[in-house]
Amino acid sequence: MDQLGIMLAVLGAALAAGFSGSGSAIGVGIAGESGAGIMTEDPGKFGLVLLLQALPGTQGIYGLLTAFFAILKVGLLGGAVVSVNVWQGLGVLFACLPIAIAGYYSAIAQGKTSAASIQMIAKRPEETGKAVILPAMVETYAVLALLMSIILLNSIQI
Amino acid sequence: MADPADYGYAVSRLRAMENRLLDQGVYQRLLDSEDLPSALKVMSETAYGKWFLEQQNENTFEPAIESELKHVYTETEQFVPDPCLYRIFRLPYDIHNIKVLLKGIFKQKQGGQRRLDLLTSLGNIPVDDLVMAIESEDYRLMPFGFHRTVPESVSIWEQTHDILQVERILDQALFSLQIKMADEVAFEGVKLFARSRVDTENIRNVARLKRMGFDSSQAAPFLHNGGSVPVEKIQSLINEPYEGWERILSFADVSRTLSGAQDHADLDSLIVDLEKSIDDFLSWVLAKYKYSPFAPENVLHYLWMKETEAKNVRVLLIGIGNGAERTVLRRLLRNV
Repeated sequence: MDQLGIMLAVLGAALAAGFSGSGSAIGVGIAGESGAGIMTEDPGKFGLVLLLQALPGTQGIYGLLTAFFAILKVGLLGGAVVSVNVWQGLGVLFACLPIAIAGYYSAIAQGKTSAASIQMIAKRPEETGKAVILPAMVETYAVLALLMSIILLNSIQI
Repeated sequence: MADPADYGYAVSRLRAMENRLLDQGVYQRLLDSEDLPSALKVMSETAYGKWFLEQQNENTFEPAIESELKHVYTETEQFVPDPCLYRIFRLPYDIHNIKVLLKGIFKQKQGGQRRLDLLTSLGNIPVDDLVMAIESEDYRLMPFGFHRTVPESVSIWEQTHDILQVERILDQALFSLQIKMADEVAFEGVKLFARSRVDTENIRNVARLKRMGFDSSQAAPFLHNGGSVPVEKIQSLINEPYEGWERILSFADVSRTLSGAQDHADLDSLIVDLEKSIDDFLSWVLAKYKYSPFAPENVLHYLWMKETEAKNVRVLLIGIGNGAERTVLRRLLRNV
């Protein structure tokens, strides 16, 4: 049964990293397409475009961070493997879900907002500050999900 | 039909290309120009400049405008996923070329001369191919169903010698094709735009026919199907005073083109303003899509803005060349 507990915890870690990473890849891709469109006409906007394209990439990092915490919790990352029963394993799996789900959807949403912001700076480069704030608002919810995942992971007694 | 998500690159690039459109400052400088050479000098400092430099005759501007539009169409074709979106805009030029060539042939048969200088390179079909197909009467390879429309037009002319009937057939073919293409891509705004163009063309025709003294039954063949407003409704306008047209069509968006119709002294004055109102209405139809970063309709919006800009440049340069009042010219400028 210990094995099943461990496997559930690993599944949680995989979901956190996998979903958040996938969302980030899609989001960065969407923003990148827009960025390429702008830079074809105005290569001088590379710096601003790169900043906005990178924003949806943070969810992938949050997912990776959560995955590290999860596997650290069950002792798979250095040190001795601890005994994890099914309920503890399930707890780790559920703790990983907030960042897995919110990370995936918020990264895509942020990618779309970044794409719109990139189009905004194409016409109004003087409004770059506002253009960065709009996609950054979406980031809030990924950060909240990350916080919740970490709090939940910390609250599981193993 | 491409997915709207595929338009991220295209829309962004078009947004950047919008920066090359002429702004109010350029229009103001053109209006402040004393004569045509000084207006052309202003134009040479804009995106049109490179085409003006290539011109041999310093006082002409049409080849430069055509070159700029062609450059934009060629550029757009390279990255827009659905070819229908730019073909819709180039179709009127194909029809124009067909009309020029057919009229040339008809004139030649009556001892007149052809005017190949009126052909434009802005159509979908290369001019040389079109000339070859029509002059050799080998219509088989003509695209967009023209292999049927052109021989039908020739046959009608041979039977009736009525050039208006030929024009009517070609115009009907144009609008049917535009609506068919819009239905193929199935984007809401593209369909709306194609139907709005039919509506505005019908209103323009009704106004002109009323001025020419046509009655409702005579006007019917000049109206095109496929618009948002039924042809019968637009046909009925001809029996009504133009001051009431806006009220009669108030259920449809296209009534915006007639706002203020009652303020005009006569139909002539309304017809002059109608051209601007129609262009502004079509801009309005597409303008709502510019707030969506992935809407394919942004392609139409950009191409329409470019076409409208070209119209503004023509109005200003022709007006300045003829010494027109600057206040009149300002009134004729479309919103870009």
